[in-house]
Amino acid sequence: MFTKDIDAKIKRSIGLTLFVLVASAVSAYFGLHPRVTDVGYRPTQPIPFSHKLHADTLGIKCMYCHTGVEVSKHSPVPETQTCMNCHIAVGIDNPKLAGVRESWEQNKPIAWRQVHKLPEYVHFNHSVHILAQIDCASCHGEVEKMGVVTQMQPLTMGWCLNCHRNPEKYVVPARPISGIFTGTEMAAWGQSKPTWGSGRWLKVKDGKIEAIGKQEYQFVAADVAGIVIPKKPSKGPETCSACHY
Amino acid sequence: MGSMKKTVRFRTIFWSLVGIAFAIFWVLLLSGNILWTSDTPPLQVIRDMDNQMRIAPQEEYPFFPDRSSDRPPLPYTVPRYAQVYTPETVDEALEKYPENPLPVTEFVLARGKNRFETFCTPCHGVEGKGDGPVVKRGFPAPPDLNRDITRGYPDAQIFHIISRGQNVMPGYANKLSEADRWAVVHYVRWLQQRAAQTTESSSMEAGE
Ligand code: HEC
Ligand code: HEC
Ligand code: HEC
Ligand code: HEC
Ligand code: HEC
Ligand code: HEC
Repeated sequence: MFTKDIDAKIKRSIGLTLFVLVASAVSAYFGLHPRVTDVGYRPTQPIPFSHKLHADTLGIKCMYCHTGVEVSKHSPVPETQTCMNCHIAVGIDNPKLAGVRESWEQNKPIAWRQVHKLPEYVHFNHSVHILAQIDCASCHGEVEKMGVVTQMQPLTMGWCLNCHRNPEKYVVPARPISGIFTGTEMAAWGQSKPTWGSGRWLKVKDGKIEAIGKQEYQFVAADVAGIVIPKKPSKGPETCSACHY
Repeated sequence: MGSMKKTVRFRTIFWSLVGIAFAIFWVLLLSGNILWTSDTPPLQVIRDMDNQMRIAPQEEYPFFPDRSSDRPPLPYTVPRYAQVYTPETVDEALEKYPENPLPVTEFVLARGKNRFETFCTPCHGVEGKGDGPVVKRGFPAPPDLNRDITRGYPDAQIFHIISRGQNVMPGYANKLSEADRWAVVHYVRWLQQRAAQTTESSSMEAGE
């Protein structure tokens, strides 16, 4: 069917395609591997803690454990006390929790392995993003679906800037599972007004507090001092000194 | 001649299958449907100033015997800007806080709802009935927050229970700021008011 000529051509082109495929696979392996891009880094933790069980099945909000994130730069991994809030009475003889009990009894922190890490010359602040109602999933993926936390985003400078330039494209708005405060929680139930207290009925709109109803009420910051005020996200900064200082 | 034809055909089919497999692999990879995972920390070929001499929060820090960068406060010191909850008993709390200092506003109630649903619903349930998901897994069931006894507690007593805990219930002074705890107290009151309104209207309906 084939002449020798065509046969040789087919062989050559097959050889060439094969070479390209193998070369690209090898370069893909080294170029896209988690050890190079950081995406897909999934360290085995000392205790088989599952976000899927705690956040998705039990519906515990992220902020129950990662409490400081709306007021501080750093989002803390919970201390053993937080686990013991429930595990003092739940799963008492579960062998998977042996490490937690040991840490509790010996007053020794659990050595969780850090997943997300920026170089230390970059200053990232959680609270500005959380108060702008940006959901954790924008940057960490759907953690509540993960058995073991895996890094889902490259955390490069280009990635930060992409979102800062076009937040509407990349921001996942606050979801209930995160526990992010939006100030609109009472909107659906607004008709059942409280019958006690001073009857001052205020509303938050775009980060400002507005009085509604008959009474003119001058908002005094001290009244609600200690409560964070959420806002709508604007564009993020692109000046170098916002992140490198 | 015939056998050579066969080998050529076999080879062509074999290698085109290999090619198709590679192509599928590439499409999946580039569309993000394959996620490679790795247990080894990412390589740092050029270290720049990735790790500096400063101490980051929650870092391993071998200088101290417990190898943690987080330090407990020194003995006999009082933190300057921290809110420390001092009352030990309900009576002390009643004395210190005659009433809820926060106004009842939509904003405060929204905050109360947000904090309640984050910190309390795992055990107390969304409506405060004591049927949260953790209770269904074996945690001792708390009483219904809408019952008459709890309704009769003064604000400061509920504030005290949130701050210090009660029996098996943990305290939340380390997770909720003072203002947030007062906001939660308002929200608990609001839940109680709503529960009373619904039982009233349902018993009225049942009576008629
Ligand atoms: C019951 C407590 C608990 C809840 C609820 C919880 N987490 Fe975590 N989270 C942990 C613990 C403990 C770790 C450290 C161990 C690990 O990485 O699995 C962690 C780790 C993480 C990390 C990785 C930290 C690192 O080292 O880079 C991220 C990101 C994270 N959580 C996000 C979330 C998000 C988003 C939610 C809500 C969907 C959530 N968590 C809910 C306890 C919790
Ligand atoms: C709000 C309550 C709550 C908190 C806080 C909590 N857990 Fe749990 N955890 C549970 C419940 C409920 C279960 C399920 C127990 C069962 O079904 O037997 C569970 C189960 C577990 C299990 C066993 C999973 C299995 O497959 O058997 C581990 C391990 C665990 N938790 C670790 C932790 C760690 C570590 C922390 C602290 C970061 C923590 N938990 C905080 C409620 C909690
Ligand atoms: C705008 C993007 C962004 C959002 C939104 C975000 N994070 Fe993060 N998170 C990061 C980055 C970047 C880091 C790495 C910080 C570093 O190394 O300094 C990180 C680190 C963490 C860590 C590990 C901290 C450590 O050093 O061990 C936890 C836990 C965490 N985030 C939880 C959360 C939770 C919970 C939310 C939602 C309430 C959230 N994050 C929302 C970007 C984000
Ligand atoms: C999902 C989108 C998104 C990602 C990803 C993101 N940001 Fe932002 N960031 C925002 C938005 C939106 C704002 C503006 C918030 C506001 O309106 O106050 C912001 C604000 C900031 C600010 C300004 C804080 C201030 O005080 O005004 C800094 C600094 C910052 N981001 C750093 C980072 C760094 C560093 C990264 C990458 C590790 C990053 N961000 C990733 C959306 C993002
Ligand atoms: C939104 C926050 C943000 C802003 C604004 C920003 N950077 Fe960065 N920059 C980062 C992050 C995050 C990294 C770390 C990237 C990584 O780990 O690969 C980084 C890394 C760098 C690096 C080191 C790159 C390397 O791999 O060695 C340089 C140099 C740098 N930035 C310069 C700048 C300059 C110049 C500007 C102003 C035009 C700027 N950055 C603005 C977030 C930012
Ligand atoms: C880990 C589960 C758990 C969580 C989370 C929790 N509670 Fe409780 N709570 C209990 C239990 C159990 C009791 C019953 C304690 C007892 O036996 O005295 C209780 C009792 C109470 C009481 C007293 C009820 C009465 O009639 O004596 C109040 C008020 C209360 N909780 C409010 C709260 C509020 C507000 C929060 C959120 C900040 C909260 N609880 C979070 C488990 C919990």
